[in-house]
Amino acid sequence: MLRVSKYTIVVTTLVLMTASLVMAQAPQKQSQAEMIARLQQLQKELAELEAAAAAVQAPAKVAAAPQAGQRGAQAPAPAQQGGRGQAPAAAPAQTPGMPPGMVMPAGPTGGDPNNPEGLPADSTNPQALLDRIKLLEDKIRYLESNVVLTDPETRVRKKTVYVDKNGIEYDQPTAGAKKTVTYERERVFRRNNINEKIEEALSDAEEHHVQVGVNAGIVSQFAHRTKGDALVQDDGTVIKDNKAYMLASADLFFTAGIAQNTIFFADIVGLSGPPPDLELGTLSLVNGYSARLVNQNELNLREAWLRTELFSNKLALTAGRLDLTNYFDHNVAANDETSQFISDALVNNGALGLAENGAGVAIVFDPKGGFNFKAGFQQSSHTATNLSDSIYSLAELGYVTRLPGMGEGNYRFWYRTDNTKGTGYNIGFGTSIDQKLGPQVTLFGRYGESQANPERDKFYSGGFQFAQGLAFYPGDKWGVGFSQIDPVAGGKEQLVEGYYNFSIAEKFNLSFHVQHFIEADGGAKRGYLVPGIRLQASF
Amino acid sequence: MSKSKRFLAAAGLTASVFGLAVGLLGLAPKSVARAAEVKVADPTSVVMIVNRDSNDIAFMDIKTKKIVGKTFLGNNANPHMVMMSPDGRYVVTGGTRANKAFIIDSHTLELVKIIPVDVAPEHLAFSPDSRWYYQGNPEGDSISVIDMQSLTKIKTIPGFAEPLNVTFTPDGTKAYIGNYGAHWVGVVDVRRHELMKKIQIAAPPGTAKLDPGRYLGELHGINIATPTPDGRFLYAADGALGMVGVIDTREDKVIKTIQVGKDPWRAYMSHDGKYVVIPNNGDETISIIDTSSNKVAATLEAGPGMVGVNFAAGKAFVISSSSGFVYVYNMSSLRPAGRIKLGTNVQLETATTDTADQKIYLAESTTNEVVIIDARTEAVERVGNVGLYPWGTHIMDSKDNYCH
Repeated sequence: MLRVSKYTIVVTTLVLMTASLVMAQAPQKQSQAEMIARLQQLQKELAELEAAAAAVQAPAKVAAAPQAGQRGAQAPAPAQQGGRGQAPAAAPAQTPGMPPGMVMPAGPTGGDPNNPEGLPADSTNPQALLDRIKLLEDKIRYLESNVVLTDPETRVRKKTVYVDKNGIEYDQPTAGAKKTVTYERERVFRRNNINEKIEEALSDAEEHHVQVGVNAGIVSQFAHRTKGDALVQDDGTVIKDNKAYMLASADLFFTAGIAQNTIFFADIVGLSGPPPDLELGTLSLVNGYSARLVNQNELNLREAWLRTELFSNKLALTAGRLDLTNYFDHNVAANDETSQFISDALVNNGALGLAENGAGVAIVFDPKGGFNFKAGFQQSSHTATNLSDSIYSLAELGYVTRLPGMGEGNYRFWYRTDNTKGTGYNIGFGTSIDQKLGPQVTLFGRYGESQANPERDKFYSGGFQFAQGLAFYPGDKWGVGFSQIDPVAGGKEQLVEGYYNFSIAEKFNLSFHVQHFIEADGGAKRGYLVPGIRLQASF
Repeated sequence: MSKSKRFLAAAGLTASVFGLAVGLLGLAPKSVARAAEVKVADPTSVVMIVNRDSNDIAFMDIKTKKIVGKTFLGNNANPHMVMMSPDGRYVVTGGTRANKAFIIDSHTLELVKIIPVDVAPEHLAFSPDSRWYYQGNPEGDSISVIDMQSLTKIKTIPGFAEPLNVTFTPDGTKAYIGNYGAHWVGVVDVRRHELMKKIQIAAPPGTAKLDPGRYLGELHGINIATPTPDGRFLYAADGALGMVGVIDTREDKVIKTIQVGKDPWRAYMSHDGKYVVIPNNGDETISIIDTSSNKVAATLEAGPGMVGVNFAAGKAFVISSSSGFVYVYNMSSLRPAGRIKLGTNVQLETATTDTADQKIYLAESTTNEVVIIDARTEAVERVGNVGLYPWGTHIMDSKDNYCH
């Protein structure tokens, strides 16, 4: 039984309640130490921010200097704002750049700017400490938001809204409102530094301008007859032995994005110098660059077309002046006279029979699933007065696969018709295959036949490309290839070529080539050994 | 005792208990509040979304696809990568523009600690025992070491060159740091938190001096050393050299270098450990390396600006950031298997895969969405308004947790 007087109960109760209240107050006493620590931390952060602001503002002024005549000291205006400038980034007195709901701290009243109230440094007055913490926090927030690096970022975004019949716009689906896409400015607290801003501006400018590329090559070759008699031309001129040749070529590319998934492309080419093909009388071109030669020392429009992509970019349509061989008869190891084999017979299939570029259309359907289908047509003679009399059409089926124990392989089959000769539609068909035997070795081959009444001309080629470790430097590659052309009309050509391509720099290659041609005409055979050097720059 | 005395005694005791309760509440308000506001009971049940420009981490329930909470980090924090500790207790992120690490309680989603680190914190990792949180500071050339027991930064390890990703060994004794501003991987002794070794992946070729634009310009070095599932080997792609170095973690040496395409971004390990996929942004291809032979098994066409690879349902999903496509590859046949169009004029970011390897959660920053791809059917579902500029996603225990 509890025996206590009422005074004892009252006193005990009061003591316990007082103790509870003291305990409740304890955190406040403890927080004084925390507050001082926090204060010191804030002062340190503020000093760092101010130092950073000073460091950033100096280069920013330098970067903005070229624009000073136009915009004075204003910060560059984001493109999305229609060219309107923003308030100077480093003007703390202006409030438009302040974060929503933020109150600008009172300016310094003199003395230490971090201690505008002039409180003693060792003040332990909790309220004074709290006031100073609030002041410093506001100042830091202001510095972080506005001064240190940039203003809050502004950009335009695509937005889905719902608009009713009265034009009232809702953010959420609303009865009677129609779903509509619009564009709206958005402001976010994304702090950029000066480098990022400059990079964005440059990138934006690049996207909206015409891009120019150059692909220039110089090929020096030397022809030595190894077999047979000297070639006698139709006019009786005897082609002497051991001659040097040089051809310089330069392609200028222009590319511009003109609409969604739509680009314009033009290639202007100029060639100068005599290639060996004018004298050696080979069935295929010794120098593949000659295939693009129209007139010496002139600029020629090689290609000019528009390309657009439809159906989730699965279907690409290209129309204009084309080189259809850029879309068909691809080969990973033998399809580029500027970096692989230089012999034209090891660049494209001899049975393609396409002699020049012309106006046309190419359609490529590629769902990126392994199969692809291509079709196209173009004018194949610039002397024809209408397209119907010189139409060259081509279709190709391609397949990417990976055979067991090997790398990936590309298998392509094509069929073409051409009525340029005026003898009806001349047909041809062929295949182009490249198969990786391993990461370093690629086997390639082509076969083709073209109609030449009463039989067909035959073409085939094959070889290997080596890269990735089987070379002096990582980017180097080399290859050996063989081709044979066997036309019905007579003559026969067998070609062997080896090349080594040094990747000197990303935009600069040096290649050494050795070609050997055997040209058979009836019982006579002539052989030519053609060593050469190719310098190629592309940028 | 009389009735009045009993009444007084009872009243006094009640008041005392009440007073004590008030006092205790005043002492520990947070712990009480924490217990009352659990928003995520199971840390594996949510997808974490790092929203760069709304400066928060959003938590999306995997089942309901609803945002169950967001943790605001402060204006201009601009978080980069989010990760949950292996024990599921904390979620952390580095605020790139705040130079701070943010530690979030994974259950209440409260921001429990802000820790100043070095300049521009981006990628991060936890030691397997959840004790250490290594925060890479690429612009500070350092790693900040945060003790997750005391929630304090205990050390800043200097000496790196734009350190990006951190890889701990399974036993937690070493961490490997990819240096994007160099051609070496740093090896850190986790017991002492010191940089022990620099493993050079490959030397620049002899022709490097002829190509200053490539080798003396902006250096694309090593993003990450990607481990095999057992942690025995690491695959480190070097962008400038176009090489992948295979590191033996027992001996800390490169046992093989493999040439891949141009400007490889980084290595991604398939979940079965059989293949490593390397997106080559320089020539828009992917190289698939067979880990049993350490040879390139296939080089396949891909897209521009690749920023991530996820594996699910026997396929590899390669994210082409600027094209709006995810390229798909069959990992059995190593052949292309189509591509998924996710939009026009959109910017795809990075993704995580659920632990069942069924669904991929991809951040899409242009429309502030997370795109959920069913790996088997390739059907797409979108969750909108997750935050501003979702930059990446993370699921606890996922095998595809990575950042740009």
